[in-house]
Amino acid sequence: MLSYLVFFACIVLILGMLTLALNLQWGFTGLFNAGVVGFYAIGAYTHAILTAAPQPRYVGNFGLPWIVGVLAAMAATALAGWLIGMLTIRLRGDYLAIATFGVAVSIQLVALNWEPLTGGSQGLARIGKPLAELFPTPFGFNLWFLGLMFVLMATIYWALDRVLMSPWGRALKAIREDETAAVALGKSARRFRLEAFVLGSTLMGLAGALYVSFIGFVSPFDFLPIVTFQVWAMLIVGGSGNNRGALLGALIVWAIWAGSGVAVAKLVPPSHAAQGAAIQVILIGLLLMLVLLFRPRGLIGEAAVVSRHVND
Amino acid sequence: MDRLKRVASVLAVTLTAALLSAAPAAAQGCPVKIGGILPLTGSMAPITKKIAQSAELAIEHVNQGGGVKGCPVQFILRDDQGQPTVGVDAAKYLVEVDRVPAFTGTISSGVTGPIISSVTAPSKVVQITCCSTASPFTLDGRSGGYFFRTIPTSKTQAYATASETVRRGMKKTVVIYINTDFGTDMLRFYKTAVTKLGGAEVIAEVPYTDNQPSYRAEVTRALAAKPESLLLIGFPKDAVTIVREWLSLGGTKSIALNNSMRTMDFVNGVGAKFVEDVFGMDNAQVAGPHVDAFNKAFEEKFQADTKGPGVHTQYDALMVMALAMNIAKDLTGPSIKDAVRRVHAPGGSVVGTGPAEYKKALELIKAGKPIKYFGATGPIEFDANGDVTGPALVWKIKDGQIVTDRIITIEDMQVLFKRIEN
Repeated sequence: MLSYLVFFACIVLILGMLTLALNLQWGFTGLFNAGVVGFYAIGAYTHAILTAAPQPRYVGNFGLPWIVGVLAAMAATALAGWLIGMLTIRLRGDYLAIATFGVAVSIQLVALNWEPLTGGSQGLARIGKPLAELFPTPFGFNLWFLGLMFVLMATIYWALDRVLMSPWGRALKAIREDETAAVALGKSARRFRLEAFVLGSTLMGLAGALYVSFIGFVSPFDFLPIVTFQVWAMLIVGGSGNNRGALLGALIVWAIWAGSGVAVAKLVPPSHAAQGAAIQVILIGLLLMLVLLFRPRGLIGEAAVVSRHVND
Repeated sequence: MDRLKRVASVLAVTLTAALLSAAPAAAQGCPVKIGGILPLTGSMAPITKKIAQSAELAIEHVNQGGGVKGCPVQFILRDDQGQPTVGVDAAKYLVEVDRVPAFTGTISSGVTGPIISSVTAPSKVVQITCCSTASPFTLDGRSGGYFFRTIPTSKTQAYATASETVRRGMKKTVVIYINTDFGTDMLRFYKTAVTKLGGAEVIAEVPYTDNQPSYRAEVTRALAAKPESLLLIGFPKDAVTIVREWLSLGGTKSIALNNSMRTMDFVNGVGAKFVEDVFGMDNAQVAGPHVDAFNKAFEEKFQADTKGPGVHTQYDALMVMALAMNIAKDLTGPSIKDAVRRVHAPGGSVVGTGPAEYKKALELIKAGKPIKYFGATGPIEFDANGDVTGPALVWKIKDGQIVTDRIITIEDMQVLFKRIEN
């Protein structure tokens, strides 16, 4: 049981990192990124290609150390985020959503078809795990990975908190609320939006690298559009514009996503498993609707404080 | 905030209760648990329905025939939704919380892959899939020998093609192949096989991309190697173009083809009189009393035929698993893994499908005698990597029609596999 919970917590923290990144883009800056999974994929594949055990079939698979893969994954997604941002960031709302969605689908298709590099539909295996040789048992490794995730998450959370409390963070909110007013005050909306977009994308890339180094395998099936939908569901349920809400949303949505499967398997006999599984999907949809109906701002909505000096 | 706290506490309590109620499950004792992971919802759902029914039938037969080690079997079937993260979570839960020592699944290679690398191999549990054919899963040692599949991969066809080219004395072969995982796999296995079998050689390899108006560049490259024969791996539409260009540029008529070209579209597209010397390969259907018995049992129970992918292989995956669990000295992953290879032991008594045959198998196992399982897909014998093989047929073109030249039986195929891989 404990071993499963540790595993579960690792997945929640990885998804939580994606949700935090989306929160920075959507919750604070109002950028409708519908291509979360694309940046996740770039990070994941960069890490996999650099750290996977060498194989003559593939041009990548350099077998480099884990940390090199993680840093390169962040750099690669930052670059991709900057390029894509330069091209699309001036699009508003739903137009940006369509553009980013298209980019994400394209990235997934490139991964599927660029076989010598990405392994195509067969994926890449034996991807670099952090200090795996020190932890031979799966439980030991998962526990160590969880510790690592906690440290990383705490750092990111703290850093985001600082950044969002700073004048830079307030400028983001100002642009989200009324771009014309912010521009009239001399803020370059384009620059701020691009910065938030790149920073969020970098975090998504980091999450991708962590995911594949936790699982040890990557294939294009990891990056279907449903992942973007899941991350959005987490942010909406938890509370857009609030980092604690984003993390809580990741926990609750993933617990229901995975836990409802357990409940269905316990309550429904295998002969009706197909119907039971359909109920599980309905449950997930129902939850989303209920949250939107009863807590339209999410479980923990955005705090009304604009500056920590307001109450001084 | 109050309402939030209330919601949170209710959620916390429900979750804890759900998790705790599932918690303490001893590794042994009755009933014996077997896990299953299949995409019951999502894009694969339409084909999964029959596969899940087939699994249900196998568990029913196992229980009617005496279960595992005197205990009834409890089958815990989980949905992977065709999503890797969901599938991995289900596998982890089955192994860590339900404590299954073995499970079957799943269909999409994109879900099976992460399950092997993050659950099956590190936790040392046995996984038998009905349907995932991605060739690397069994080959590069990533599974630690804990992963098996009851479905033949493209290796079967590649080895059969190699043995046929050697038999026909084809020399100096050039391979033109479609640049997909299917094409690259076929080429790789074909090369391994001809090298081992001797007598034939590959002098050039030319990949092609599908749906091009012309393949003159590829064909010219292939002909530059001065080949005496051609192996073409691809799909009919492109193959028609390639073969026409090949012949018009002076290529030989000694051509070998893969299964996809066994269609009149190809024969008529090229022109029947130009392809009298070609031969091709295809998978053959296994027949016999054990296959019929399974088909009949399935049709009676579900009022549906057994056509469709994975139906036969899923039944065998679970029957092999249950038999191996009976043979194993205890219900741990490593013991079951070794026992899987004794389900089809040389010199064993033949046992087939259905509860009566399963019962017979249990009696033989109890008496310490070896068994030889013949399943819904024929004799199930795993090679060193955990793959099975299947029968193949050689076809040719005679008087403008596609005719079967000869059948390579599954027994011949198993001999061929041993020659190539040992």
